[in-house]
Amino acid sequence: MTPERPVPFRGGGFAPRRRRFVALAAFAVLLGAWELAGRGGWISPIFLPRPGTILGALGDLVRSGALAEHLGASLFRIAAGWTLGSALGFAAGLAIGLFSLARSAGIPIVSALFPIPKIALLPLMILWLGIGEASKVATIALGVFFPTVIAVYAAVDAVPRNLIRMAQSFGVPPAAILRKVVLPGAWPAILSGFRITASIALILVVSAEMIGAQRGIGQFVLQAGNLMIPEDLLAGIVVLSALGLGIGALIGTIERATTRWR
Amino acid sequence: MDLVVSGVGHAYGALPVLEGIDLHVASGEIVAVLGPSGCGKSTLLGIAGGLIEPGAGAVRLRGEAPPRCLNALTYVFQDFALLPWRDVAANVALPLEHHGLGRAEIARRVDVALERIGLAEFRGAWPRQLSGGMRQRVGIARALVVEPAVLLMDEPLSALDAQTRDLLLEDLIALWRATRFTALYVTHNLAEALRLAHRVVVLSRRPGRVREVVEVPFDPDARGTPEANAALARIQERLWGLIRDEARDAEREILAHDA
Amino acid sequence: MRRRHLLRSATAAAIAAPVLGPSRGRAQALEKVSIGVLKLASSGPLFIAMARGHFRAQGLEVEPKYFTAAAQVPVAVTSGDADFGVTGLTAGFYNLAGRGALKMIAGQSREEPGFQLNAYMATAKAWEEGLRDLKAYAGKRIAITTTGSTFHYSLGLLARKYGFDMASVTMVGLQQLPAMAAAFKGNQVEGIVIPVTLARQLEAEAGGRILGWVGDETPWQLGALFTSPKAIDQRRATVEKFTRAWAMGCADYHAAFNARDAQGRPAKGPGYDELLDVLAKAVEQPAARVADGLPFVDPQARLDVGDIHSQVAFWSAEKQLRGEVDAKAIVDTSFVAGHFNIPRG
Repeated sequence: MTPERPVPFRGGGFAPRRRRFVALAAFAVLLGAWELAGRGGWISPIFLPRPGTILGALGDLVRSGALAEHLGASLFRIAAGWTLGSALGFAAGLAIGLFSLARSAGIPIVSALFPIPKIALLPLMILWLGIGEASKVATIALGVFFPTVIAVYAAVDAVPRNLIRMAQSFGVPPAAILRKVVLPGAWPAILSGFRITASIALILVVSAEMIGAQRGIGQFVLQAGNLMIPEDLLAGIVVLSALGLGIGALIGTIERATTRWR
Repeated sequence: MDLVVSGVGHAYGALPVLEGIDLHVASGEIVAVLGPSGCGKSTLLGIAGGLIEPGAGAVRLRGEAPPRCLNALTYVFQDFALLPWRDVAANVALPLEHHGLGRAEIARRVDVALERIGLAEFRGAWPRQLSGGMRQRVGIARALVVEPAVLLMDEPLSALDAQTRDLLLEDLIALWRATRFTALYVTHNLAEALRLAHRVVVLSRRPGRVREVVEVPFDPDARGTPEANAALARIQERLWGLIRDEARDAEREILAHDA
Repeated sequence: MRRRHLLRSATAAAIAAPVLGPSRGRAQALEKVSIGVLKLASSGPLFIAMARGHFRAQGLEVEPKYFTAAAQVPVAVTSGDADFGVTGLTAGFYNLAGRGALKMIAGQSREEPGFQLNAYMATAKAWEEGLRDLKAYAGKRIAITTTGSTFHYSLGLLARKYGFDMASVTMVGLQQLPAMAAAFKGNQVEGIVIPVTLARQLEAEAGGRILGWVGDETPWQLGALFTSPKAIDQRRATVEKFTRAWAMGCADYHAAFNARDAQGRPAKGPGYDELLDVLAKAVEQPAARVADGLPFVDPQARLDVGDIHSQVAFWSAEKQLRGEVDAKAIVDTSFVAGHFNIPRG
């Protein structure tokens, strides 16, 4: 008789998928364990307050109305700083992406100025712009500007040249090529840049509010650190994280709405 | 309208790619330029359409433009060059948008162009949703929508599989029968050139020079009879003898290059 | 880890070098302790006690752990990274101490009349516009580092002394001294509380006016030596030895630097030049600049315990403390004799 045996299955695996409830369960387990460890005295509240304490601090913030004040002040700074930095960075990035002169001058300048820590500039910011909103907005705008420039010119560089040649061959005028080919082609990469710069704006609001802020979520976090009140500090960080998630979701929505063609 | 290429030469730095090219594409005629990779075919097409400045010589258009012509020279690209963020109709509309036409007029002309190449039902599709053959049909519709005098086709079928290529060739022949378009058709594929062209211009390898011009004795839509096939087979054999050594050299070079 | 440890020991040895000499064998018997400290003249008693071998005489080998901000030192002691800490007293310190993480055991520097350590200043512009005495601080914007800082407390004392409402002062928290100086130069504030070196600089460069010195106007217990309650429980003998050596350093410091002549002007006490050199090396500053900002240190390392109670009351009233902080529970008066001003009851 001819021997015969089944071919064993050798495929499968290496294709991890995300399951929503698993993430939620993981969070719940983590927080639960943390809470229990805190209650059981395994973790000192001086080092790491338990989630319940942090939630309590957050509740105090909401009830006293302080959260709304802090958020209002910070959101204005983030929105103004991000918009200003993005608008200027977009214009500069576009110029570098399109024109040889701007490119030759711009790229070395950006490379030289980008790595300067913005916190080191705070005293200068105060001298130039005072301790009001201007210096806070400018600190965020400055932090947002350089990554935007780089994201935009890299995005413009990555637009396939053959599409631009195509448009030229059909006699499309240069301004229309910019509007109809270059910008739509660069848009997805620019949006990715916006995702990063929005996070940078959130990080920098803490630095910006080092400049004599009377309120603001960054100021609240700084003060909690100075006063060594860890539950307040962590509550502030929870608020910052929630802001980050919110802004990320907003950009995600814009992304889905404007890049359906992908 | 005739396209006249006279004495065109070009070099990339010290590397000459074209030398003394003379060509005449008469109205209603399809002229194929055949040559191995690296013979400067694409450069020639770029020069013909005004996208590359020639190092020597000149390209002229002779005669009256066809009625309703908005753009005398339009391209069909090997890689289709569709805008992925525009649907089919909007891609075809692109060349019409800067001629001061009304919205309705643009839509009407787009519809005609889509109809002509069998794309009417795909007008709302995104390019990514289309097969290669359908994408190139969009490219052809876009090139024709402005009623060009001469169509410049840069290896338009090279990115497609053999079966799709045959289907598209049939479409192009039907289109020629209906519209008598004029075309300069660059290809490295001998069979394709013999199916479509009235005349085949064979270029040598670097620098590209005209080695031979072969008249094909049947109109594109009259090929396929046993008599025509026999005549075409003889031409094909002769041309293959002419180009096979250079084609092999070209292939070797590319392989050496990769290594 | 091991390398870092070795490096730090090497630093300690280098500082102690003049006394330690070549005797390596004895060093092995010494008990190792670490202390969190800033490179400031106010930590002088520590550097002097190390240089003069007071710790070695007690059988201790001290490893200083240097920090750049006062807030980090109590955190280091809380986390067990340092056995002792010595810095200025802030609301952050009291929040940690109030949760049972720290206990004060001896005094460090004090703001005392005649010692020009920190200045209350007015900008040239504010001076022109009438900010000419400290009473007029009411209703003005004053630059400080942060709420809860020693500057904040000094302002609070000023408000109490001159009877104005603390809430009427806008404290502009700028985190760092350079940022404070920039805001002052740019007339972004009317006043500032700032250490002497920068005060002199602002006077010279920006026409700022010194309205008074914290020590003259509002003396208080600026800093303290502290450790963890756990160390007091488990290594009481070590804490005693350490405090003894620390107090000897304080005595040496006081004798050399806090001497006054018949007219009350600063005078050079015994060992002045030698010890100034020790300090200059330890804080990595020119000796002349160190000499300009030498704070008062109690010769017996005593604490003004009453002032500690006042501080806690002030921070509590300013809502800078979380929960109840019992001033009595955060000071252990058993290591140094003669702490004064101890509230009764």
